[in-house]
Amino acid sequence: MIEIHNLTKHFEKIKAVDEVSVDIREKTVFGLIGTNGAGKSTVLRMIAGVIKPDEGTVAVDNMPVYDNVEAKKRLFFIADEPYFFVNANAMAMERYYSGVYEAFDKEEFYRYLEKFNLDKSRKIGTFSKGMKKQLALLLGICARTKYILCDETFDGLDPVMRQGIKSIFAKEMEERGLTPVIASHNLRELEDICDHVGLLHKGGVLLSKDLEDMKCNIQKVQCVFCAVEDELKALNGLEVLKKEQRGSLCTITVRSTREEVEARFATVDTIFYEVLPLSLEEIFISETEVVGYDIKKLILG
Amino acid sequence: MTSKNSFLVSSRENHKRRIWVWIVTVLSQLLVYGGMMMIYLSRIRGVYANGGFKTPEAFKQGMCQAARDALGFSDNLYGIVFILAAVIGMQGFSYLYDRRKVDMYHSVPVSKDKRFWVIYLNGIVIYLVANLSGMILGAVIAASQGAVNADVLANAGLAFVWNLFLFLALYHMMVLAVMLTGNRFVTVCVFLCFVLYEYCVQTQIGLLRRSFLETYSEYYISTKPKLSVIYDCTVNIWNIKDAQDAAAAAAISMPIVGKWILVAAAFLGLSYLAYKKRPSEAAGRAMAFSFMEPVFKVAVAIPVALLAGGLVYDTSYQNEMLQVAGMLAGGLIFCTAAEVLFDFDIRSLFKHLPSSGIALVGILAIFSVYKWDIFGYDSYIPAQNKVESIAISADGYYDNYWDENRQYFEKSQFEKENMFLTDTEPVLALAKAAQGADPETMGDARSVQILYRLTSGRQVARAIQTDYDDPGTEELLNRIFRTDAFKKGVFQGITDDTSYADVMRITYTNGAAKTVIPVEEADRLREAWIKDMEQFDFTLVRHSRPCGILNFEYENYHQRQWFVYDSFAETIAALKKLEAYYPMALDAADIESVTVTCFHNELTEQESEVDYGMEPRAVAETWDAGYTDYTVSETFFEESQIAQILPHLYSNWIDAPWGSYKDVDDNYSVQVVFKRDTAYPYERDSYYFTYSFYAGQVPEFVAEATAYTGE
Repeated sequence: MIEIHNLTKHFEKIKAVDEVSVDIREKTVFGLIGTNGAGKSTVLRMIAGVIKPDEGTVAVDNMPVYDNVEAKKRLFFIADEPYFFVNANAMAMERYYSGVYEAFDKEEFYRYLEKFNLDKSRKIGTFSKGMKKQLALLLGICARTKYILCDETFDGLDPVMRQGIKSIFAKEMEERGLTPVIASHNLRELEDICDHVGLLHKGGVLLSKDLEDMKCNIQKVQCVFCAVEDELKALNGLEVLKKEQRGSLCTITVRSTREEVEARFATVDTIFYEVLPLSLEEIFISETEVVGYDIKKLILG
Repeated sequence: MTSKNSFLVSSRENHKRRIWVWIVTVLSQLLVYGGMMMIYLSRIRGVYANGGFKTPEAFKQGMCQAARDALGFSDNLYGIVFILAAVIGMQGFSYLYDRRKVDMYHSVPVSKDKRFWVIYLNGIVIYLVANLSGMILGAVIAASQGAVNADVLANAGLAFVWNLFLFLALYHMMVLAVMLTGNRFVTVCVFLCFVLYEYCVQTQIGLLRRSFLETYSEYYISTKPKLSVIYDCTVNIWNIKDAQDAAAAAAISMPIVGKWILVAAAFLGLSYLAYKKRPSEAAGRAMAFSFMEPVFKVAVAIPVALLAGGLVYDTSYQNEMLQVAGMLAGGLIFCTAAEVLFDFDIRSLFKHLPSSGIALVGILAIFSVYKWDIFGYDSYIPAQNKVESIAISADGYYDNYWDENRQYFEKSQFEKENMFLTDTEPVLALAKAAQGADPETMGDARSVQILYRLTSGRQVARAIQTDYDDPGTEELLNRIFRTDAFKKGVFQGITDDTSYADVMRITYTNGAAKTVIPVEEADRLREAWIKDMEQFDFTLVRHSRPCGILNFEYENYHQRQWFVYDSFAETIAALKKLEAYYPMALDAADIESVTVTCFHNELTEQESEVDYGMEPRAVAETWDAGYTDYTVSETFFEESQIAQILPHLYSNWIDAPWGSYKDVDDNYSVQVVFKRDTAYPYERDSYYFTYSFYAGQVPEFVAEATAYTGE
């Protein structure tokens, strides 16, 4: 587990990260969401041991990470703009990383290269931005570290590649307990990948929750009540997060389980009702509006 | 078995990233050593082809000398070593400038320690391999032409050590510069600061001292940079190159190398510390550590400001107000430029004004310390009981000084090592008398250099102005000059027992006659001269002029002159016995003619005075017209007239140590022409000899004959 406790970092007079505390559990895909400048990269660089926090601690499997080789052996960090040696090709990068990461799986690396149609002899400098990200991901996966830290790595990958990487992540998570930590400014990019999401804003954590928990505990109901009394009876005792009315059609977001909502609505007179799935975006909008933020401005622009 | 992640694996990976540095370094060394060797040897072959060497042995020696020059200490090489150290140092750690590279290198499981030592040691390996390759190539070329001997190899070995530690010192400076900065431009600036800072500060402070402190002296205690590698190299390289053999070269070079090792070690320690502490986010910033920005700004602003002030002072005819203005302007411009450099933003011109203010206050404080002598430098005279001994150099005498290897060294060094005046009272009295005295009002103002050796072990040097015409000064100088300590500290001929074994020739001259004395008489003459020197004091040398000079000639044109005075009875008796003595006064019977030239300085001076009194336009016209030539010459052939002139002449070929310039009349110059058939042993290379009249002894008929009549 990666334990982040009260992490704070200043860049000169600017507070980039402000008392961030998050736990990243093993074998989950952790998404770190935030606008540009929210502090995602800084948090990831501190987790990777690249930069030293001014205050607070980062522990990887109970080991401090900064300048600690043993902790770093469990991490692979893919920066937002991954660096490859000048004039190097995929083979040269493999040679470097296999020298640095003891468990680096060369065979698997070359297998993945073929699978992703990346030419091992071609100079990386001639790769497209997406190809470079793929290569960085493959290097990270084949380094066989327990944690892989991806800074904006999925942004810009085409859907086929995303699906390919996602399936590799799933396989690695199942086989050896890989824990990907993915930072992105785009909520939609993470929706289908993450198990747990942390939302960063202005250097601090707005919320950190399991997606499943969030999905299970927030429900959107579209319905047409027969009478006002029915509406009052249905919603009585439920935490209503949002309610929109268009004509007689009500769209209500409530914090509750699907079963409870269905049970409630079954007891009242309705012309029509349906419990709909919420997108991650909708969940975030609901959750952050509750605490007074307009998520659309923060994440969705 | 080494592990996959071992030091060597990391080292090999690092070398792969430094291919172009390898190529540049190795090529440069091969070209320099190979090229120099071929050029030097072909030059010697050319000389040989043109008959420049009389024997094959001399030719071989010439070839070996050329090989020694190419492989050994070379002023051509240290510029290249400087560049290589800078390039290798910067390239090795340049990943620190790039955030993308830092993200990669600092996130992988490699400890900071290992990464530092891998990159650092690889830099040295690159240099070593390249340097040795170049030297081996040079040696092979030399050996193929028979130009290698033990001295060549020994010198090459010494030069290798010299260049290696020069490289290391500079390399470490560059590594520290990289650690403290975040981009290449600022790194180069900081590196140049490390290399030149002490020299620049010393130079500027030296200028202030020379400008404002009357007793400041660098004669005995030099304020030369003590830790500046480049200064050491520049100043000493020629001495080392000219050393007779490898042992002599080692004697000069190795103490310097020892100092460089300390400098290199200090910079390496700081580099390592800075690397460990350097924040990764410093990539791309001007300075890696924020606290270094004001330190760098203030530290560099001060010498820059002093330099600016010095330039204004020189170009404004020493106007001190303008100097201060120039200093403040220079300091302010640098401070603002530094802020722009730190932020890469022109809008940052006036950021951090407090540190700029500190720099300006520092500049003014340093100026004030020297301008108003705040610490009482000029008034310092140590208490007599605090002085262990003194060395003193009174203006008016110079000689050649050399060591057992025939290496010349300065008079100040000889005095420092050999003169220990324990009767300190007259020197302190001289220093006290000089305080507040105005040299303009002195009859014959002369500089006296003093080195106080204090009981605390400290040494303090001062220069004072004394009046050689003042009887009180004469008495004090007599007390100093009469001591054995003074004589032994000035005349190497007294103390140097061994130097007479290899005398090649002894001559005596009175300025015209030159007689050769058998070398086996050297000891006897020395004994006689030393005995006569018992009467040596300031009054003797001030009020009488030498009647001749004993000249001892050694190998390699080394010469030592002993002045002989009329009162030196023992020496003169010995010379007479050897039929080598001729008095200063010549015999008219030997002389063909005497030509006297009177310059009429009084008229020239008068003309000059009128010039300065005139209106500028008139001055300009006079200057255009040129000065009047008042020179009048007259040649005397009659023996009777010549006989009246000769007793009043003093040879211009013989200096008078500590003598007064007033003793001879500088208004006249006299040329004496010997008869071709005379037996007088005058130096046959010349047929005329120049003399001056003793002051006030120009015969009346001569003055009349050379009077200016306006025609």
